[in-house]
Amino acid sequence: MTPRRVVVTGLGVLSPIGNNPTLFFQNLMAGKSGVKKINTPLADDLDCKIAAFINDFEPLDHFVKNKAATMDRVTQFAVAASQQAINDAGLDLEQEDLERIGIYLGTGMGGATSIEEGYVRLYRENAKRLKPFTVLMAMNNAAGSQVALDFGFTGPDLTFCTACSSSSIAIGEAMRQIRHGYADVMLAGGSEALLTFGTIKAWEALRTLADEDPADPSKSCKPFSSDRSGLVLGEGAGIVVLEDMEKAIARGAHIYAEIIGFGSSNDSSHVTQPSIEGQTRAMRKALNEAGIEPNQLDYINAHGTGTKLNDSTEAASISKVCGTGVPVSSTKSLHGHIMGATAAIEFIACMMAIKEQSLPPTANFTSPDEGCELDFIPNIGRKNVKVDTIMSNSFAFGGTSGVLIAKKVS
Amino acid sequence: MDTFKTLQEIISNKFDKPIDEITMDATFESLEIDSLDTFDIIFDAEEKFGIKVPNDEVDIKTIADVVQLLERLRNEQAK
Repeated sequence: MTPRRVVVTGLGVLSPIGNNPTLFFQNLMAGKSGVKKINTPLADDLDCKIAAFINDFEPLDHFVKNKAATMDRVTQFAVAASQQAINDAGLDLEQEDLERIGIYLGTGMGGATSIEEGYVRLYRENAKRLKPFTVLMAMNNAAGSQVALDFGFTGPDLTFCTACSSSSIAIGEAMRQIRHGYADVMLAGGSEALLTFGTIKAWEALRTLADEDPADPSKSCKPFSSDRSGLVLGEGAGIVVLEDMEKAIARGAHIYAEIIGFGSSNDSSHVTQPSIEGQTRAMRKALNEAGIEPNQLDYINAHGTGTKLNDSTEAASISKVCGTGVPVSSTKSLHGHIMGATAAIEFIACMMAIKEQSLPPTANFTSPDEGCELDFIPNIGRKNVKVDTIMSNSFAFGGTSGVLIAKKVS
Repeated sequence: MDTFKTLQEIISNKFDKPIDEITMDATFESLEIDSLDTFDIIFDAEEKFGIKVPNDEVDIKTIADVVQLLERLRNEQAK
Protein backbone atom coordinates (compact mmCIF):
# COMPACT_ATOMS: atom_id res chain seq x y z
CA MET A 1 0.00 0.00 0.00
CA THR A 2 1.27 3.48 -0.85
CA PRO A 3 1.77 5.49 2.33
CA ARG A 4 -1.16 7.83 2.84
CA ARG A 5 -0.88 11.53 3.61
CA VAL A 6 -2.11 12.46 7.07
CA VAL A 7 -3.68 15.78 7.99
CA VAL A 8 -4.87 17.53 11.13
CA THR A 9 -8.58 18.35 10.97
CA GLY A 10 -9.58 19.05 14.57
CA LEU A 11 -8.14 20.62 17.71
CA GLY A 12 -9.16 20.43 21.36
CA VAL A 13 -7.33 22.04 24.24
CA LEU A 14 -7.73 22.61 27.95
CA SER A 15 -4.95 24.80 29.27
CA PRO A 16 -4.10 27.27 32.01
CA ILE A 17 -4.58 30.05 29.44
CA GLY A 18 -7.75 28.95 27.72
CA ASN A 19 -10.04 26.01 27.22
CA ASN A 20 -10.40 26.22 23.47
CA PRO A 21 -7.81 26.66 20.71
CA THR A 22 -8.84 30.19 19.75
CA LEU A 23 -8.70 31.61 23.28
CA PHE A 24 -5.52 29.64 24.00
CA PHE A 25 -3.78 31.14 20.98
CA GLN A 26 -5.11 34.64 21.59
CA ASN A 27 -3.62 34.51 25.07
CA LEU A 28 -0.32 33.18 23.75
CA MET A 29 -0.13 36.07 21.30
CA ALA A 30 -1.09 38.55 24.03
CA GLY A 31 1.57 37.15 26.36
CA LYS A 32 -1.00 36.27 29.00
CA SER A 33 0.45 33.89 31.56
CA GLY A 34 -1.36 31.02 33.29
CA VAL A 35 1.27 30.76 36.02
CA LYS A 36 -0.13 31.66 39.44
CA LYS A 37 0.47 31.33 43.14
CA ILE A 38 -0.69 27.99 44.50
CA ASN A 39 -3.52 28.59 46.96
CA THR A 40 -4.37 25.06 48.07
CA PRO A 41 -4.43 24.29 51.82
CA LEU A 42 -1.05 22.55 51.66
CA ALA A 43 0.74 25.39 49.86
CA ASP A 44 2.46 26.51 53.08
CA ASP A 45 4.40 23.25 53.11
CA LEU A 46 5.61 23.65 49.53
CA ASP A 47 8.89 25.33 48.68
CA CYS A 48 7.55 25.86 45.18
CA LYS A 49 4.46 28.02 45.42
CA ILE A 50 3.72 28.60 41.74
CA ALA A 51 2.07 26.44 39.08
CA ALA A 52 -0.12 26.73 36.01
CA PHE A 53 -3.52 25.42 37.10
CA ILE A 54 -6.74 25.27 35.12
CA ASN A 55 -9.17 27.10 37.36
CA ASP A 56 -12.22 27.17 35.13
CA PHE A 57 -12.84 23.49 34.38
CA GLU A 58 -16.09 22.26 35.91
CA PRO A 59 -16.47 18.48 35.57
CA LEU A 60 -20.27 18.64 35.86
CA ASP A 61 -20.37 20.75 32.68
CA HIS A 62 -19.07 17.67 30.88
CA PHE A 63 -20.18 14.60 32.84
CA VAL A 64 -23.07 13.45 35.01
CA LYS A 65 -22.28 13.40 38.71
CA ASN A 66 -21.62 9.71 39.30
CA LYS A 67 -19.50 9.48 36.16
CA ALA A 68 -17.41 12.51 37.09
CA ALA A 69 -16.83 10.95 40.51
CA THR A 70 -15.34 7.83 38.95
CA MET A 71 -12.96 9.61 36.57
CA ASP A 72 -9.63 11.08 37.60
CA ARG A 73 -9.06 14.71 36.59
CA VAL A 74 -6.63 13.50 33.88
CA THR A 75 -9.41 11.41 32.32
CA GLN A 76 -11.93 14.23 32.54
CA PHE A 77 -9.48 16.48 30.70
CA ALA A 78 -8.82 13.87 28.00
CA VAL A 79 -12.48 13.20 27.28
CA ALA A 80 -13.47 16.88 27.29
CA ALA A 81 -10.60 17.84 24.96
CA SER A 82 -11.46 14.92 22.67
CA GLN A 83 -15.07 16.10 22.42
CA GLN A 84 -13.82 19.55 21.44
CA ALA A 85 -11.50 18.12 18.79
CA ILE A 86 -14.24 15.90 17.31
CA ASN A 87 -16.62 18.87 17.16
CA ASP A 88 -13.93 21.06 15.60
CA ALA A 89 -13.23 18.40 12.97
CA GLY A 90 -16.95 18.21 12.18
CA LEU A 91 -16.81 14.43 12.47
CA ASP A 92 -20.25 12.84 12.59
CA LEU A 93 -19.46 9.67 14.52
CA GLU A 94 -22.82 8.13 13.59
CA GLN A 95 -21.68 8.13 9.98
CA GLU A 96 -18.15 6.89 10.65
CA ASP A 97 -16.79 3.35 10.74
CA LEU A 98 -15.71 3.35 14.39
CA GLU A 99 -13.44 0.34 13.83
CA ARG A 100 -11.28 2.64 11.71
CA ILE A 101 -10.96 5.27 14.46
CA GLY A 102 -8.49 5.00 17.35
CA ILE A 103 -6.95 6.98 20.17
CA TYR A 104 -3.27 7.37 21.03
CA LEU A 105 -2.79 9.34 24.22
CA GLY A 106 0.27 10.47 26.14
CA THR A 107 0.42 11.01 29.87
CA GLY A 108 3.29 11.27 32.29
CA MET A 109 1.73 10.61 35.67
CA GLY A 110 -1.72 9.23 34.71
CA GLY A 111 -4.20 9.33 37.57
CA ALA A 112 -1.91 11.16 39.98
CA THR A 113 -4.79 12.66 41.95
CA SER A 114 -6.41 9.29 42.56
CA ILE A 115 -3.13 7.72 43.66
CA GLU A 116 -2.45 10.55 46.05
CA GLU A 117 -5.99 10.53 47.46
CA GLY A 118 -5.60 6.83 48.08
CA TYR A 119 -2.33 7.29 49.94
CA VAL A 120 -3.73 10.17 51.98
CA ARG A 121 -6.63 7.93 52.95
CA LEU A 122 -4.37 5.04 53.91
CA TYR A 123 -1.41 6.72 55.54
CA ARG A 124 -2.76 10.03 56.79
CA GLU A 125 -6.31 9.17 57.69
CA ASN A 126 -5.46 5.60 58.70
CA ALA A 127 -8.29 4.15 56.61
CA LYS A 128 -8.25 0.38 56.30
CA ARG A 129 -9.19 0.21 52.65
CA LEU A 130 -9.47 2.19 49.44
CA LYS A 131 -12.41 3.19 47.28
CA PRO A 132 -13.54 0.61 44.70
CA PHE A 133 -12.67 2.77 41.68
CA THR A 134 -9.12 3.55 42.79
CA VAL A 135 -7.37 1.20 40.34
CA LEU A 136 -9.59 2.21 37.44
CA MET A 137 -9.06 5.92 38.08
CA ALA A 138 -5.34 5.71 38.71
CA MET A 139 -4.17 3.38 35.93
CA ASN A 140 -2.14 5.12 33.25
CA ASN A 141 -4.35 3.95 30.40
CA ALA A 142 -7.58 5.15 32.06
CA ALA A 143 -7.78 8.40 30.11
CA GLY A 144 -7.20 6.92 26.64
CA SER A 145 -9.48 4.00 27.31
CA GLN A 146 -12.25 6.30 28.50
CA VAL A 147 -12.03 8.25 25.25
CA ALA A 148 -12.43 5.01 23.28
CA LEU A 149 -15.30 3.94 25.52
CA ASP A 150 -17.19 7.23 25.45
CA PHE A 151 -16.98 7.74 21.69
CA GLY A 152 -17.23 4.09 20.67
CA PHE A 153 -13.83 3.85 18.97
CA THR A 154 -12.86 0.24 18.40
CA GLY A 155 -9.68 0.91 16.46
CA PRO A 156 -6.14 1.13 17.90
CA ASP A 157 -5.84 2.39 21.50
CA LEU A 158 -2.46 2.93 23.13
CA THR A 159 -1.15 5.02 25.98
CA PHE A 160 2.34 6.48 25.63
CA CYS A 161 4.35 7.25 28.71
CA THR A 162 7.67 8.90 27.82
CA ALA A 163 7.48 11.77 30.32
CA CYS A 164 7.62 15.20 28.65
CA SER A 165 7.58 13.83 25.10
CA SER A 166 4.62 11.44 25.63
CA SER A 167 2.14 13.29 23.48
CA SER A 168 4.62 14.03 20.71
CA ILE A 169 5.24 10.31 20.41
CA ALA A 170 1.48 9.68 20.58
CA ILE A 171 0.82 12.08 17.68
CA GLY A 172 3.72 10.74 15.60
CA GLU A 173 2.76 7.12 16.10
CA ALA A 174 -0.91 7.87 15.45
CA MET A 175 0.09 9.53 12.19
CA ARG A 176 1.88 6.30 11.24
CA GLN A 177 -1.25 4.25 11.99
CA ILE A 178 -3.10 6.22 9.34
CA ARG A 179 -0.17 6.53 6.98
CA HIS A 180 0.20 2.76 6.82
CA GLY A 181 -3.49 1.96 6.70
CA TYR A 182 -4.26 0.64 10.17
CA ALA A 183 -6.79 3.41 10.80
CA ASP A 184 -8.48 6.23 8.86
CA VAL A 185 -8.92 8.67 11.75
CA MET A 186 -6.94 8.90 14.97
CA LEU A 187 -7.43 11.11 17.97
CA ALA A 188 -4.00 11.80 19.39
CA GLY A 189 -2.48 13.97 22.06
CA GLY A 190 -2.00 14.01 25.77
CA SER A 191 -3.52 14.74 29.14
CA GLU A 192 -1.91 15.58 32.45
CA ALA A 193 -3.26 16.51 35.88
CA LEU A 194 -0.36 16.10 38.28
CA LEU A 195 -0.55 19.21 40.42
CA THR A 196 -0.92 17.30 43.66
CA PHE A 197 1.03 18.02 46.84
CA GLY A 198 3.07 14.82 46.57
CA THR A 199 3.93 15.28 42.90
CA ILE A 200 5.00 18.88 43.38
CA LYS A 201 7.13 17.76 46.35
CA ALA A 202 8.79 15.13 44.15
CA TRP A 203 9.56 17.76 41.51
CA GLU A 204 10.94 20.12 44.14
CA ALA A 205 13.42 17.45 45.13
CA LEU A 206 14.75 17.30 41.58
CA ARG A 207 15.76 20.99 41.81
CA THR A 208 14.38 21.79 38.39
CA LEU A 209 11.48 24.08 39.35
CA ALA A 210 11.65 27.82 38.73
CA ASP A 211 12.17 30.30 41.52
CA GLU A 212 9.19 32.54 41.95
CA ASP A 213 9.64 35.93 40.30
CA PRO A 214 9.40 38.22 43.33
CA ALA A 215 7.89 41.09 41.37
CA ASP A 216 5.37 39.05 39.40
CA PRO A 217 4.87 35.29 39.98
CA SER A 218 3.21 34.95 36.56
CA LYS A 219 6.57 35.75 34.98
CA SER A 220 8.55 33.03 36.74
CA CYS A 221 9.17 30.83 33.70
CA LYS A 222 11.85 32.47 31.53
CA PRO A 223 12.95 30.07 28.78
CA PHE A 224 16.22 30.89 27.01
CA SER A 225 16.65 34.07 29.05
CA SER A 226 19.89 34.53 30.99
CA ASP A 227 17.97 34.79 34.29
CA ARG A 228 15.97 31.57 33.83
CA SER A 229 15.84 29.36 36.91
CA GLY A 230 13.71 26.36 35.98
CA LEU A 231 10.38 25.07 34.81
CA VAL A 232 6.86 25.70 36.09
CA LEU A 233 4.52 22.71 36.34
CA GLY A 234 1.16 22.93 34.60
CA GLU A 235 -1.90 20.85 33.83
CA GLY A 236 -4.15 20.36 30.82
CA ALA A 237 -4.89 18.35 27.72
CA GLY A 238 -4.39 18.70 24.00
CA ILE A 239 -6.05 16.44 21.44
CA VAL A 240 -5.85 16.59 17.66
CA VAL A 241 -7.90 14.74 15.09
CA LEU A 242 -5.64 13.17 12.47
CA GLU A 243 -7.16 11.93 9.27
CA ASP A 244 -6.31 10.34 5.96
CA MET A 245 -6.00 13.38 3.68
CA GLU A 246 -8.19 11.95 0.93
CA LYS A 247 -10.96 11.23 3.40
CA ALA A 248 -10.68 14.72 4.88
CA ILE A 249 -10.88 16.32 1.44
CA ALA A 250 -13.82 14.09 0.43
CA ARG A 251 -15.89 15.20 3.40
CA GLY A 252 -14.88 18.87 2.98
CA ALA A 253 -13.10 19.12 6.34
CA HIS A 254 -11.02 22.13 7.31
CA ILE A 255 -7.37 21.07 7.16
CA TYR A 256 -5.00 22.79 9.57
CA ALA A 257 -1.86 21.13 8.20
CA GLU A 258 -0.32 17.90 7.01
CA ILE A 259 2.11 16.06 9.28
CA ILE A 260 5.06 15.49 6.99
CA GLY A 261 7.74 14.34 9.40
CA PHE A 262 8.19 12.63 12.72
CA GLY A 263 11.45 11.72 14.39
CA SER A 264 12.00 9.98 17.67
CA SER A 265 15.08 8.73 19.42
CA ASN A 266 16.57 8.07 22.82
CA ASP A 267 19.62 9.96 24.05
CA SER A 268 20.87 6.82 25.79
CA SER A 269 23.28 8.98 27.75
CA HIS A 270 21.70 10.22 31.00
CA VAL A 271 18.29 9.99 32.63
CA THR A 272 17.87 13.77 33.06
CA GLN A 273 20.71 15.55 31.26
CA PRO A 274 19.77 16.31 27.66
CA SER A 275 22.18 15.49 24.87
CA ILE A 276 22.91 17.44 21.72
CA GLU A 277 23.49 14.17 19.88
CA GLY A 278 20.06 12.82 20.92
CA GLN A 279 18.18 15.99 20.12
CA THR A 280 19.83 16.56 16.76
CA ARG A 281 19.23 12.91 15.88
CA ALA A 282 15.48 13.30 16.41
CA MET A 283 15.32 16.60 14.51
CA ARG A 284 17.27 15.18 11.58
CA LYS A 285 15.06 12.10 11.44
CA ALA A 286 11.98 14.31 11.27
CA LEU A 287 13.51 16.56 8.60
CA ASN A 288 14.59 13.55 6.55
CA GLU A 289 11.11 12.07 6.69
CA ALA A 290 9.61 15.44 5.77
CA GLY A 291 12.03 15.74 2.86
CA ILE A 292 12.70 19.40 3.55
CA GLU A 293 15.73 21.51 4.34
CA PRO A 294 15.91 23.27 7.74
CA ASN A 295 15.72 26.68 6.05
CA GLN A 296 12.23 25.78 4.83
CA LEU A 297 10.97 25.87 8.43
CA ASP A 298 9.05 29.03 9.33
CA TYR A 299 8.85 28.35 13.05
CA ILE A 300 10.18 26.01 15.71
CA ASN A 301 8.18 25.52 18.90
CA ALA A 302 10.99 24.63 21.27
CA HIS A 303 10.83 22.26 24.18
CA GLY A 304 12.20 25.30 26.08
CA THR A 305 11.46 24.29 29.64
CA GLY A 306 13.28 27.19 31.29
CA THR A 307 15.93 25.07 32.98
CA LYS A 308 19.55 26.12 32.54
CA LEU A 309 20.63 22.88 30.95
CA ASN A 310 17.65 22.13 28.73
CA ASP A 311 17.60 25.50 27.07
CA SER A 312 21.33 25.81 26.40
CA THR A 313 21.42 22.25 25.03
CA GLU A 314 18.36 22.76 22.86
CA ALA A 315 19.65 26.09 21.52
CA ALA A 316 22.90 24.37 20.57
CA SER A 317 21.01 21.48 18.95
CA ILE A 318 18.77 23.78 16.94
CA SER A 319 21.78 25.84 15.83
CA LYS A 320 23.58 22.71 14.74
CA VAL A 321 20.68 21.34 12.67
CA CYS A 322 18.88 24.48 11.50
CA GLY A 323 21.35 27.32 11.88
CA THR A 324 20.24 30.52 13.56
CA GLY A 325 17.75 31.91 11.06
CA VAL A 326 14.51 30.16 12.00
CA PRO A 327 12.28 31.89 14.59
CA VAL A 328 11.99 29.80 17.77
CA SER A 329 9.78 30.26 20.81
CA SER A 330 8.88 28.46 23.99
CA THR A 331 5.20 28.81 24.78
CA LYS A 332 5.86 27.07 28.12
CA SER A 333 6.74 30.55 29.36
CA LEU A 334 2.97 31.16 29.42
CA HIS A 335 1.20 27.79 29.86
CA GLY A 336 3.85 26.06 31.94
CA HIS A 337 5.25 22.60 31.44
CA ILE A 338 2.25 20.30 31.05
CA MET A 339 4.38 17.17 31.00
CA GLY A 340 2.61 14.32 29.17
CA ALA A 341 0.25 16.79 27.46
CA THR A 342 2.71 19.56 26.77
CA ALA A 343 3.87 18.40 23.32
CA ALA A 344 0.28 18.12 22.07
CA ILE A 345 -0.65 21.54 23.45
CA GLU A 346 2.43 23.05 21.81
CA PHE A 347 1.61 21.26 18.54
CA ILE A 348 -1.85 22.86 18.75
CA ALA A 349 -0.11 26.23 19.21
CA CYS A 350 1.71 25.45 15.95
CA MET A 351 -1.53 24.54 14.15
CA MET A 352 -3.03 27.85 15.27
CA ALA A 353 0.15 29.66 14.21
CA ILE A 354 -0.36 28.29 10.69
CA LYS A 355 -4.06 29.14 10.75
CA GLU A 356 -3.52 32.69 12.04
CA GLN A 357 -0.18 33.25 10.23
CA SER A 358 1.20 34.49 13.51
CA LEU A 359 4.04 33.44 15.79
CA PRO A 360 3.64 33.31 19.58
CA PRO A 361 6.43 34.81 21.67
CA THR A 362 8.83 33.50 24.27
CA ALA A 363 7.53 35.49 27.22
CA ASN A 364 9.57 36.78 30.17
CA PHE A 365 12.69 37.05 28.06
CA THR A 366 14.89 39.69 29.65
CA SER A 367 18.36 39.17 28.20
CA PRO A 368 20.13 36.73 25.91
CA ASP A 369 22.27 34.04 27.44
CA GLU A 370 25.67 33.03 26.16
CA GLY A 371 25.16 29.94 24.05
CA CYS A 372 21.46 30.69 23.48
CA GLU A 373 21.67 32.94 20.46
CA LEU A 374 18.66 32.26 18.29
CA ASP A 375 15.70 34.39 17.24
CA PHE A 376 13.53 33.58 20.26
CA ILE A 377 10.64 35.94 19.34
CA PRO A 378 11.22 37.71 22.66
CA ASN A 379 8.10 38.86 24.49
CA ILE A 380 6.10 40.09 21.51
CA GLY A 381 4.39 37.77 19.06
CA ARG A 382 4.54 38.39 15.34
CA LYS A 383 1.35 38.83 13.34
CA ASN A 384 0.88 38.62 9.60
CA VAL A 385 3.99 36.57 8.92
CA LYS A 386 4.35 33.53 6.69
CA VAL A 387 3.89 30.38 8.73
CA ASP A 388 3.58 27.40 6.41
CA THR A 389 5.95 24.86 7.92
CA ILE A 390 6.56 24.24 11.61
CA MET A 391 8.66 21.96 13.76
CA SER A 392 7.70 21.09 17.33
CA ASN A 393 10.41 19.76 19.63
CA SER A 394 9.83 17.64 22.72
CA PHE A 395 12.52 16.12 24.90
CA ALA A 396 12.10 14.10 28.05
CA PHE A 397 13.54 12.71 31.23
CA GLY A 398 14.42 9.19 30.30
CA GLY A 399 15.91 10.54 27.08
CA THR A 400 13.03 10.09 24.63
CA SER A 401 12.85 12.82 22.03
CA GLY A 402 9.91 13.46 19.72
CA VAL A 403 9.97 15.94 16.85
CA LEU A 404 6.96 16.69 14.65
CA ILE A 405 7.00 18.64 11.40
CA ALA A 406 3.80 19.86 9.78
CA LYS A 407 3.07 21.91 6.70
CA LYS A 408 0.14 23.95 5.49
CA VAL A 409 -1.75 22.20 2.70
CA SER A 410 -2.17 24.45 -0.29
CA MET B 1 -30.23 3.95 61.21
CA ASP B 2 -32.81 2.64 58.74
CA THR B 3 -31.07 0.43 56.20
CA PHE B 4 -33.44 1.05 53.30
CA LYS B 5 -33.58 4.83 53.83
CA THR B 6 -29.81 5.06 54.11
CA LEU B 7 -29.37 3.02 50.95
CA GLN B 8 -31.86 5.24 49.13
CA GLU B 9 -29.89 8.30 50.19
CA ILE B 10 -26.57 6.82 49.07
CA ILE B 11 -27.94 5.90 45.65
CA SER B 12 -29.92 9.08 45.19
CA ASN B 13 -26.94 11.25 46.06
CA LYS B 14 -24.45 9.31 44.00
CA PHE B 15 -26.54 8.93 40.85
CA ASP B 16 -28.80 12.00 41.06
CA LYS B 17 -31.92 9.81 41.13
CA PRO B 18 -35.23 10.76 42.77
CA ILE B 19 -35.66 8.88 46.07
CA ASP B 20 -39.05 7.48 45.03
CA GLU B 21 -37.49 5.66 42.05
CA ILE B 22 -35.38 3.65 44.47
CA THR B 23 -37.98 1.14 45.59
CA MET B 24 -37.41 -2.22 47.27
CA ASP B 25 -38.26 -4.15 44.11
CA ALA B 26 -36.23 -1.93 41.74
CA THR B 27 -33.39 -3.75 40.03
CA PHE B 28 -30.00 -2.13 39.57
CA GLU B 29 -30.44 -2.75 35.87
CA SER B 30 -33.69 -0.77 35.84
CA LEU B 31 -31.90 2.03 37.70
CA GLU B 32 -29.12 1.89 35.07
CA ILE B 33 -26.53 1.09 37.70
CA ASP B 34 -23.93 -1.46 36.58
CA SER B 35 -22.14 -4.07 38.66
CA LEU B 36 -19.05 -1.90 39.12
CA ASP B 37 -21.19 0.92 40.49
CA THR B 38 -22.83 -1.46 42.96
CA PHE B 39 -19.36 -2.04 44.47
CA ASP B 40 -19.20 1.68 45.08
CA ILE B 41 -22.64 1.69 46.69
CA ILE B 42 -21.71 -1.23 48.93
CA PHE B 43 -18.47 0.52 49.86
CA ASP B 44 -20.42 3.57 51.04
CA ALA B 45 -22.89 1.37 52.91
CA GLU B 46 -20.03 -0.45 54.64
CA GLU B 47 -18.65 2.90 55.79
CA LYS B 48 -22.04 4.13 57.01
CA PHE B 49 -22.92 0.97 58.91
CA GLY B 50 -19.42 0.01 60.01
CA ILE B 51 -19.68 -3.47 58.53
CA LYS B 52 -17.73 -5.53 56.03
CA VAL B 53 -19.42 -7.25 53.11
CA PRO B 54 -17.51 -10.42 52.10
CA ASN B 55 -16.56 -10.74 48.43
CA ASP B 56 -18.83 -13.76 47.90
CA GLU B 57 -21.89 -11.79 49.03
CA VAL B 58 -21.84 -9.04 46.42
CA ASP B 59 -23.94 -10.82 43.81
CA ILE B 60 -27.03 -8.65 44.03
CA LYS B 61 -29.77 -7.72 41.60
CA THR B 62 -32.38 -5.67 43.46
CA ILE B 63 -32.50 -3.03 46.16
CA ALA B 64 -34.23 -5.59 48.38
CA ASP B 65 -31.24 -7.94 47.92
CA VAL B 66 -28.93 -5.26 49.29
CA VAL B 67 -31.23 -4.26 52.14
CA GLN B 68 -31.54 -7.89 53.26
CA LEU B 69 -27.80 -8.45 52.94
CA LEU B 70 -26.93 -5.30 54.89
CA GLU B 71 -29.45 -6.01 57.63
CA ARG B 72 -28.18 -9.56 58.07
CA LEU B 73 -24.58 -8.40 58.22
CA ARG B 74 -25.43 -5.55 60.60
CA ASN B 75 -27.00 -8.07 62.96
CA GLU B 76 -24.20 -10.63 62.59
CA GLN B 77 -21.36 -8.15 62.87
CA ALA B 78 -22.93 -6.24 65.76
CA LYS B 79 -22.60 -9.38 67.88
